[in-house]
Amino acid sequence: MRQLGFALAAAAAAALYAGNPAVAQDKIKIGYVVAKSGPNAPGAGITTIPNYKLWVTDVNAAGGINVGGKKMQIEVVEYDDQSSTEEAVKGIERLATEDKVDLILPPWGTGTNLAVAPVIAKYGYPHLAVTAATDMAPEMVKRFPNSFWFLGTSSQGADALVEVLNKLKAKGLGTNIAMVSVADQFGIELSKAARPALDKAGFKLVYDKSYPVTTQDFAPIINEAKAANPDAFVAFSYPPDTFGLTGTAIALGFNPKVFYTAVGTAFMVYKDQFKDNVDGVMGVGGVNPDTPEMQAYFKHHKEVTGQDADRWASPVTYASLQILQQAIEKVGSLDKQKIADAIKAGEFDTVLGKVKMVNNIRQDVWWAGQWQGGEFYGLGPTSIAGAKEPLFPKPDWKK
Amino acid sequence: MVAFDIVLSGVILGGTYALIALGLTLQYGVARIMNLAYGELLIAAAFGAYWLFVAKAVSPLTGLIVVIPVAFALNWLIYRFLLTPLVRRAKSRDALEADSILATFGMLFIVQGGLLVAFGGQYYSDRFLQSAVIILGDTVEANKLVTAAFAIVASLGLYLALTHTRAGTAIRAVAVAPGSARLVGIDVERLSAFAFALGGALSAAGGVLVSMSLLFSATSGVLFTMKALIIAIMGGAGNLLGSLVAGLILGIAEIAVARLIDPGLTIAINFVLFLAVLLIRPAGLFGRAAA
Amino acid sequence: MTAKALSGFAALILGVALLAAAPFAVNDYYLGLGVDLASYTVLATAWALFSGPTRYISLATAAFFGIGAYAMATLWDKLPEPAVVALAALLGVGVALIVGLSTLRLRGVYFVIFTFGLAELIHQLVSWHETNFTHTVGRYIYLDISSSQIYWQLLGLAVLVFSVGWLIGRSRLGLALRVIGDDEVVARHVAINTTTAKLVLFAVSAGFISATGAVMAPRWTYIDPNIAFNPLVSFQVVIMALLGGAGRLHGPILGVVPLVLVSEVLSAHFPQSFLIILGIVFLVIVYFLPDGVAGLIERWRAGTRRSERSRAVNVPFAGGALLELHNVRKAFGGLVAVDDVSLAIAAGEILGLIGPNGSGKTTALNLISGVLRSDGGEIRFKGRSIGALPSHEIARLGIARTFQLVRVLGSMSCLDNVVAGLAFRADPLWGEAARERAVALLDRVGLAPRTNVPAGQLTYIDQKRLELARALALEPELLLLDEWLAGLNPRELGVGIDLVQSLRKDGLTIVLVEHVMDAIRSLCDRCVVMNAGRKIADGPPATVLTDDAVITAYLGAAAHA
Repeated sequence: MRQLGFALAAAAAAALYAGNPAVAQDKIKIGYVVAKSGPNAPGAGITTIPNYKLWVTDVNAAGGINVGGKKMQIEVVEYDDQSSTEEAVKGIERLATEDKVDLILPPWGTGTNLAVAPVIAKYGYPHLAVTAATDMAPEMVKRFPNSFWFLGTSSQGADALVEVLNKLKAKGLGTNIAMVSVADQFGIELSKAARPALDKAGFKLVYDKSYPVTTQDFAPIINEAKAANPDAFVAFSYPPDTFGLTGTAIALGFNPKVFYTAVGTAFMVYKDQFKDNVDGVMGVGGVNPDTPEMQAYFKHHKEVTGQDADRWASPVTYASLQILQQAIEKVGSLDKQKIADAIKAGEFDTVLGKVKMVNNIRQDVWWAGQWQGGEFYGLGPTSIAGAKEPLFPKPDWKK
Repeated sequence: MVAFDIVLSGVILGGTYALIALGLTLQYGVARIMNLAYGELLIAAAFGAYWLFVAKAVSPLTGLIVVIPVAFALNWLIYRFLLTPLVRRAKSRDALEADSILATFGMLFIVQGGLLVAFGGQYYSDRFLQSAVIILGDTVEANKLVTAAFAIVASLGLYLALTHTRAGTAIRAVAVAPGSARLVGIDVERLSAFAFALGGALSAAGGVLVSMSLLFSATSGVLFTMKALIIAIMGGAGNLLGSLVAGLILGIAEIAVARLIDPGLTIAINFVLFLAVLLIRPAGLFGRAAA
Repeated sequence: MTAKALSGFAALILGVALLAAAPFAVNDYYLGLGVDLASYTVLATAWALFSGPTRYISLATAAFFGIGAYAMATLWDKLPEPAVVALAALLGVGVALIVGLSTLRLRGVYFVIFTFGLAELIHQLVSWHETNFTHTVGRYIYLDISSSQIYWQLLGLAVLVFSVGWLIGRSRLGLALRVIGDDEVVARHVAINTTTAKLVLFAVSAGFISATGAVMAPRWTYIDPNIAFNPLVSFQVVIMALLGGAGRLHGPILGVVPLVLVSEVLSAHFPQSFLIILGIVFLVIVYFLPDGVAGLIERWRAGTRRSERSRAVNVPFAGGALLELHNVRKAFGGLVAVDDVSLAIAAGEILGLIGPNGSGKTTALNLISGVLRSDGGEIRFKGRSIGALPSHEIARLGIARTFQLVRVLGSMSCLDNVVAGLAFRADPLWGEAARERAVALLDRVGLAPRTNVPAGQLTYIDQKRLELARALALEPELLLLDEWLAGLNPRELGVGIDLVQSLRKDGLTIVLVEHVMDAIRSLCDRCVVMNAGRKIADGPPATVLTDDAVITAYLGAAAHA
């Protein structure tokens, strides 16, 4: 009899305990897997990690996020994906099943975000993919309705650049284009989109080559491009090659009227490396640095993290986190689906100004920017507020 | 003009390759060590040069003065403590090669891991001596010319040293027939250690020079090892002039393929050449047939 | 089947069933770990199928894995998944055959170098193709397949690879590979077509690796060449297999389990140190655990085994062999080792090939047995030109030899050494029949008490006898003995001479390279003398040994008999 009694009591207690949402939760557990080592580390180290740290610092300094009347601070769980998609997927699974985090922040890179999208969706988390630009975005949204894509599609990127080039024709830009692309998702997609766009705008490709990711020596490419005598040089490149191509072009005195390198051009270290020579160089990305929000953001970023934000994806990263916070506060709970729904429908105030996702894809993405007087201004798409007039032609390299 | 472009760029690139392979030629040809960690040590030297340049404002060329002896000592220590036990227990040349592959494989991870911890995963370059030099209408970077020149001087110098000095002849004897060399009183172990250390010093010099013109990261070592191995074997194990010629051929072939076919096939041409040489002349272009 | 075997089998089935039930008992994170363990088990065991016995370290795992992954990435929406996996395996086999045909003829170390860069090469080729022809780089796999299903498929592959490995181990192919791993020259001289054997195993191993890549691909959804051809996979597989012990079928899994678990812990908490720790583990293996954990366990449990003797059986030999050399020439750089040598040997003769050191005698034997190819002239055996044939075909035709520096298969027992000679000749013997004949041959050369002793532990004289037994196992018509009587004391010499005589009585034709003049005088019908590569005398021993030119060659110009 006594045993039965104890058993019943234990069962009742267990049922109560299980039924209860456990001990009252004090903190929001947020997890992320990001490249801290490997080839993606430099990009992540400039764009993603500082902004995650900045945001957590800001939120916790203000007392936390208001979740249904209660202010909860953020507790972080982070892993290194070692620039491997395998590790990224494993890390996400660990965060979801072992650490049981409330929310997951995305990794760096198009490929990695594409790889983790299904597993993030499997566990029901919203996926705010910032450092990912791909034509697959609309399809990803269809398959993973809680995924959000903050840098748009590569076709938009190619179109923006061609639009800028087209406008420069009026200022005297010729029609010969030399185009190179890194043999990676990013480079291939962009060059594939650029070819028909350039053709439609009346440009002619006098040099069109793709180079392997592991290329170390860019002299052959620059020499050949130079020999084709182009009016504009366009490189859909990643950080290491962006730096390599620029350095080699300076060394070999290659001075087309337009010089465009892709990812990395918007990094402040690019300016640090090439100093005065960056003036007039175009690249992927851009910002409108003249708004008070943006100026405050740059200043604050440098103060808290000790690093300069980049001039493209950094503010976008921070904005995505602001959106996340505002969605949580609007919903009043940590319910993942409700948060995702709020992001889909809402309009948010961020360092980029007002942001509203259309079909889970952010609009008004800067795709062509240029260094002018020490700042990287957004040039196109020209429809975005604050688009600056391009500096043309690019002044010759100084040695 | 295109043909001249290709040959000139090819010779210069080939010079860089030959320099990279020289050290391994000595290590494999004389000390019989198939050093898979070769490229990592080369990259470590490149990082050393970079650090000296960025932190201490020492130009890479001056940095050579520091890096070369340090590399020599380090490699000598590696041979003495890591590789000698393998040499002693190997029953045949093939067994030593197999064992040394495995041991240097382990070293590869340790050095690469260390570099990753110290420098992270990003790409670096000294960008030294990047001014353009015009040769017959072609633009070439000065640092590459320096590298190619160094390669030619080093291989010719070594070749003369090996053929005209007593120590050099002793080294050649060890390379050809270590068993017999022992019988005429040559201290094979000491000379092998010396050759290994010298090879390592050469690779470090190569690392410093390429740090000026190429982009490298902590993970670039494997690519360098592969090229060095291919060139060393193509030229005939232990044959310095053979390595020089093989390096030049590889450089010209790579540039030709990059210009005329596709830059994406450069590694493919490495392997095509490698295979072709091995299948037609298994001892290498200038090597002696194995007994 | 014995009770022990039955219970072992039952335990295996139970174990597999338990593993298969795992997905129902663990959460997704541990299932993911299980998938990793299963995939590396297949990879490492498949790798060891080839690299274990042959000792050729293949670094091409990532290449084949990537091929499989890419096959899935390309065909997932066009064919049912199992069909794609099968196709991927075939693709892996195909590429392995191409790679193998080009490189397996080369020395082991060149093979390693080639495979070292193979993943990078294929990576570049695939990138190039995708960039220029399909204009994508990444491919997406939206296959509706759960981790559990992937796990079960991998488990199935693991069972398959173990079964195949077990069957091969018991077959002639397995023996051929072990012989190759021990001494490739001997392998060729017991008529093993080493290239074919290596090729078959390499292809089988590659097939499994590619299948694994295809099964694993859906886990990542997005595949591009960087992801598919990751060299770290090659390196990790090597370390796992060597840690566990590549010489035994169950070895690799002993290395997979700890390393996967360790890497999981490290990835989570100390990702920077992962590579360094891998390197240290590797060095530990190379210096202290050359046979891996499996080898360690075996040495620890080693005991002696005994076996039964068998009765002697007469081994008949065919007769009537004829060997001719016409103007044969071989030069090494500037040194002419064999200079325009012609000679003929009649069936049933014992020919002595003598001369001072360095006169070219062993080179001549090497030319006959196919170790070297001549620069000029002809070599005919029974009227057929054999100069261009590889060693294993010459062995099949009926020529056997011993080596100046004795070459036995040290890691195998005396019995297996002789079985190696029986298993690959033109009329091969295998299984029980081979064992019986081998025992008889060992008895013939006086090694019956050592039947199960590892050849590496024999005394020098016994190793020579073993080598002779292995040569006799080929049932040759022509036997080449390279200084077989060297280093024997007078009593042993007498026994050896008697043995050679008895071989002649059985109809064997023998070429004897010797320095021991007593043996020459008592055994040889005829002598050919070489000096500095040229033939300087040819006739009965009594005549030849008193010839002026011969004496001068041996003793210098001043001496005369």
